[in-house]
Amino acid sequence: MRQQGGEENQLNACEEFEARRILLAAGELDSAEVADVSEHLRHCESCSEAMKLDSELLRAMSEHHAEPDAALLAACRANLVDALDKEEEGGWVRRALGAFVPPSWLAPRPAFSAAMLLVVGFSVGLFGPKLLKSPTPATVAPSTMLTASSGMEPNALDPNPSAVDANSSSSTPMSKIDFHTAQVAGINVFPAGPSEPPQVQVQIRTESPVTIRGSVNDSDVKYVLINVLHNNQRFDPDMRLDAVDLLRVRSDDPEVRAALCQAVHTDQNAAVRLKALEALSESAGAPDQVRQTLLDALVNDQNPGVRIEAMNSLRDLAEKGQIESDRQMLDILRTRVQKDPNTYIRLQSAATLRDLAPSSKF
Amino acid sequence: MDVERSNAANRLLGADPATNTMGLSVALEADARQAAAAKLAEEHALVRSAQAGDRLAFESLVRRYDRDVLRLALNLVHRPEDARDIYQESFLRVYRNLHRFRFECSFYTWLYRIVTNVALDHLRRRTSRKEDQAPALEDAEGSTRDFFDRQPEQRAAANPERNLLGQELGEQIASALNRLSPRERMVFEMKHYQGLKLRAIGDVLGTSEETVKNSLFRATRKLRASLEGMR
Repeated sequence: MRQQGGEENQLNACEEFEARRILLAAGELDSAEVADVSEHLRHCESCSEAMKLDSELLRAMSEHHAEPDAALLAACRANLVDALDKEEEGGWVRRALGAFVPPSWLAPRPAFSAAMLLVVGFSVGLFGPKLLKSPTPATVAPSTMLTASSGMEPNALDPNPSAVDANSSSSTPMSKIDFHTAQVAGINVFPAGPSEPPQVQVQIRTESPVTIRGSVNDSDVKYVLINVLHNNQRFDPDMRLDAVDLLRVRSDDPEVRAALCQAVHTDQNAAVRLKALEALSESAGAPDQVRQTLLDALVNDQNPGVRIEAMNSLRDLAEKGQIESDRQMLDILRTRVQKDPNTYIRLQSAATLRDLAPSSKF
Repeated sequence: MDVERSNAANRLLGADPATNTMGLSVALEADARQAAAAKLAEEHALVRSAQAGDRLAFESLVRRYDRDVLRLALNLVHRPEDARDIYQESFLRVYRNLHRFRFECSFYTWLYRIVTNVALDHLRRRTSRKEDQAPALEDAEGSTRDFFDRQPEQRAAANPERNLLGQELGEQIASALNRLSPRERMVFEMKHYQGLKLRAIGDVLGTSEETVKNSLFRATRKLRASLEGMR
């Protein structure tokens, strides 16, 4: 009886060890677990035999594992180059369409594609006229908005717009919209001519939906984008990244610069902070504000990528003479050499120090 | 070699070789970390340039990873022409969607997410189309041989008997792999032949480490059961 119980225990232990044997073969166990499994294998003949079988299986499979030959790789690369050329010729319209209906998805299903086109055609025929008749959210041209808000130029730096009009309509001046409660439903970007800034369409969900369309040079578009950055906890990172991307061309504008500085200091998302830093380093004005923001990011940001970007921007701007490499900056770099947890940043700080202050000791 | 040289230097200086070996390994580790950080920064710069429309930067990124991508595709679908399709579709998707990459994971993980999605779609499509299930091609003599047969069998080359055994084994392995589900196959391939950690595979497939572990267990058991008689 006792012997039977012992065999049962052994069986259970072996079942448990089967999973660990597989993990051992996959190199996924830590040293303590490896020792544990090895100890079991030393005493258990069946597991030891099974382990041998697994090893043989893996060895046999790796012997038959195919390695791509140079000709196949070269053919793939050549085909890809051709496809990329075609992609570039096709331009942005085809790319945008491709995002909704990938050609590779439709091509192998001609019957499905035809059916889908029929359904789309019928739907447009049936619902199109109704939709055209239904009231649409007002589109506010930037010029009309400026007229409506004359004398009430929005203070974009104020994250708490004071007046909140619950009955705000499509002609509501932008400063009346409270971005603490309003939802920005989407930011759409439409490419313009080569030398013109892209057109931006922003949909704001208030009681009466508002759609603003214009370039980032229009003050209302700018106002909304800045407020997306100010109220960063309310908008998703993609929207904030779009806002930074669009505002980048206006980084010389003091209001935009201030919003970018705030994003570097307070945004929760490292990618947004990184993009804001990049945009700031292109700003020609307010060298002290930019310099201080870059230094703050270098010292305080938790993300090493952001700190690296801050240091690279500081070095570039100092080398171009756009910011002054004074004692405070050199002290911060010395501290980074000694204390930054990231090896790359420590080395780069030392290199930057050598470039900016060759006689400096650290 | 470095350790020997360093020990010799220590003997000259009268230092303890054991202490020095430890110091050297720490230094090598620091070097490796530093090299990895530099590589990462370089990759980020390439991605940013590619996002800004620099085609050369994009092609550099492709060349960093395309051999791994092709190997993965080839071993999943076993037909060079299908592997070529997966390669092309994957990198085109990367090209079209690069502007969406936000550095929230490594570029490698993001790329592999796309590749595995394309490959899984391909495998599922093939499973649902019966005529595609047998990856066989006709050779010059008119007999059909699958992709594994056409791989050079290095070790058996000089021995016809081993060559024949190697071919049989190749067929058995191909048929055993065909019995795995697309996801099990993907996990097994990425673990054993791409050398990815289970957690990284989970990141790529958008699932938990535990689920990946279970897929690996199932794949290993199925393969073991299918190939038990091959010895």
